[in-house]
Amino acid sequence: MKSKAAGLPLSYRLAVASRCLAALLGGYLLASMASVCIALLAPLSRVDATLIGLLLSFVFYLLAFIWCFACRSAWRAWLGVLLPSLLMAMASGIAYWMKTP
Amino acid sequence: MKEGFRQAMAWLHTWTGLIFGWLLFAIFLTGTLSYFKEEINHWSQPEVRRHALDPVNSLGLAQRYLEANAAHAGSWMIRLPNAREAALSVSWRDPEAGRRGFVSKSLDAQTGQPVEARDSRGGEFFYRFHFQLEMPYPFGRWLSTFCAFIMLVGLVTGIITHKKIFKEFFTFRPGKGQRSWLDGHNAIGVLVLPFHLMISYSSLVLFMYMVMPAGILASYSGNTGDYFNELFGRDDPPKAANVATPLVPLPTLYAKVQEQVPGARIGYIQLHNPGDSNAQVTFTQASADNIAYKRSAKWTFDGTNGALLSQGAPESGAMATAFSFAGLHMGNFAGPWLRWLYFVFGVAGTAVIGTGLVMWLGKRQLKHAKSEHMPSELRLVEVLNIASMSGLLLAVAGFFWANRLVPVALEGRADWEVNAFFLAWLLSLVHAVLRPGRRAWGEQLALGALAFALLPLVNGLTTGQGLDHSLQVGDWAMAGFDLTALAVGLFLAWAASKMLRAPKPVAKRASRAAKKPTADVVEVG
Amino acid sequence: MLGIALIGFAGFAALCLAMEKHFSDLLGCKPRPQQVRLLRVAGWLLLMLSLVLSVHLRGWGHGLVEWIAVLMAGVTLWVFVLPYQPRLLLGLAAASLVLGPLLAVLAG
Repeated sequence: MKSKAAGLPLSYRLAVASRCLAALLGGYLLASMASVCIALLAPLSRVDATLIGLLLSFVFYLLAFIWCFACRSAWRAWLGVLLPSLLMAMASGIAYWMKTP
Repeated sequence: MKEGFRQAMAWLHTWTGLIFGWLLFAIFLTGTLSYFKEEINHWSQPEVRRHALDPVNSLGLAQRYLEANAAHAGSWMIRLPNAREAALSVSWRDPEAGRRGFVSKSLDAQTGQPVEARDSRGGEFFYRFHFQLEMPYPFGRWLSTFCAFIMLVGLVTGIITHKKIFKEFFTFRPGKGQRSWLDGHNAIGVLVLPFHLMISYSSLVLFMYMVMPAGILASYSGNTGDYFNELFGRDDPPKAANVATPLVPLPTLYAKVQEQVPGARIGYIQLHNPGDSNAQVTFTQASADNIAYKRSAKWTFDGTNGALLSQGAPESGAMATAFSFAGLHMGNFAGPWLRWLYFVFGVAGTAVIGTGLVMWLGKRQLKHAKSEHMPSELRLVEVLNIASMSGLLLAVAGFFWANRLVPVALEGRADWEVNAFFLAWLLSLVHAVLRPGRRAWGEQLALGALAFALLPLVNGLTTGQGLDHSLQVGDWAMAGFDLTALAVGLFLAWAASKMLRAPKPVAKRASRAAKKPTADVVEVG
Repeated sequence: MLGIALIGFAGFAALCLAMEKHFSDLLGCKPRPQQVRLLRVAGWLLLMLSLVLSVHLRGWGHGLVEWIAVLMAGVTLWVFVLPYQPRLLLGLAAASLVLGPLLAVLAG
């Protein structure tokens, strides 16, 4: 693989690097947003909702990781992690605003 | 990156496995050793004598010692001896010494006198290393937690990649080169999968408060302290009233806990403001008593009259889940046979990582079997494979040798043990660079075999507590350590003899495999 | 717990033999379809039995954890010793079929 990699075009390498970043950072963002969203929206006591959010965040991270390397292009990888993050951030923002007047 | 979901997952499995494999191998190996942390402590501090357990007597001794030596301290901590830990440990915060003024002493459980044991980090070193990697806080913890996540990714992608998970559930075909390595890698991965999944996910659970703070920050508006107080049921310690009042005898409080939960073993006792009218004593049940961490298993008493002030709040379902993962990871509840199984499964996890690394290289070496020179990137992987696997074993052996050979009176000898660990590791890296791959493997494994097999002898000669003594008096922790070292030595000798002898048949096999790269061999990569 | 481990071990041995490839490798003849079905049912029943016994004897928490632990240990032993000592393992599986329930009854 490595020896073949020497002949790989730059665009391919950049795409792989971009996917790695999407998985690492975008995935983390997605996981964080998911934990925030669950913590604020789950119909449980505050301490439990936060805990469940933490426990499940890694599942989101895992799924984001897999998505970033399974999808067809690096652009889709970024889109796939940023769009849900944005939606969850909006939902959490509304929930936060309603809880703390 | 290849087309198709399974191919993409195989790619991810291959490359994350390679990049994080070396570090994961070290984390898994030292983590596995940590299941015998107390036993390794016992071996590395043979001066601490084991006595029959008597918690009431131990408590009295600890109280007497602390009242005589730490009456001025704002808080005390007492850890009672248990089946695995011989020493009665007391510690206190020295108010004159500032924030870092934490003093710890190991007392003999029968006499109550401090034990002058050799300065050693013992099993604590491997335990700390497996999640801190000897890096400054908090980088080591972040890195090892990320490694645990990569392990989880590796497991999931491995399952997706593995086409015949049920058809080849019982399959292991030895003596067939790459095929056997893949069989072994798959079989250990699949058969011990519940453990692998548990151990990697629970590592994330243990450090999730640190690595995923966003949820806590959002729902507690930045006051993480509130969250932890609520989660672990902690209260702020009481302020001292500065009115001297004698402390109630601790054994009477112990009896009160036994009334609440008959047969409960006590792990540690924490005292705030001892000797003050606002004294408070908290008994915490030993983690060996429950699988999950239990915040409910603690009792707080008034230190002046012995009245029960409060008991830990019960856990919710979510807490029980999170605390169970924490408990399962650490395995404090495990008795001797289950602890050995934990150890075996830990070795299995290490072996999955090791076989994966070996396969990555083996498969690519096949393509260059005919040419004289290996591409430099493959050589790099080879060197790192050798140094991270056999080199780490040498480093572990180096630590134990240093424990027995560094003079007891030497200043900072505990640090020298750690230095020996890293020095041996570094030397093995240098050796791996200088010698051809197969020779390097063989020589390091042979040296490792010698180093581990001779440990019982060194122990016997330097401490007089060798196998002849420990087996006779029934000191199973000491004997178990020596016997395990002997077994590891024998295993490494077997591995070394395979590496040093007969490289020919393997080469033949390799070229045969190279000629016919069957589809099932070249699945991953 | 040893009894439960042995029952689980026998269960996995039966499930292994229920696969045609392993059956013919180990016993030297092709299995009849009934035999395969019988072995498969017996294997699953033994695994279930060991689970029930484990939970009954040790409670849900410890029972589940220890059941999974001894099962993993047993099946790993089976798979990695099988190519080297197939006869020994078959004998061990047969013996554990008798010894397992006996020990479990004694423990209960």
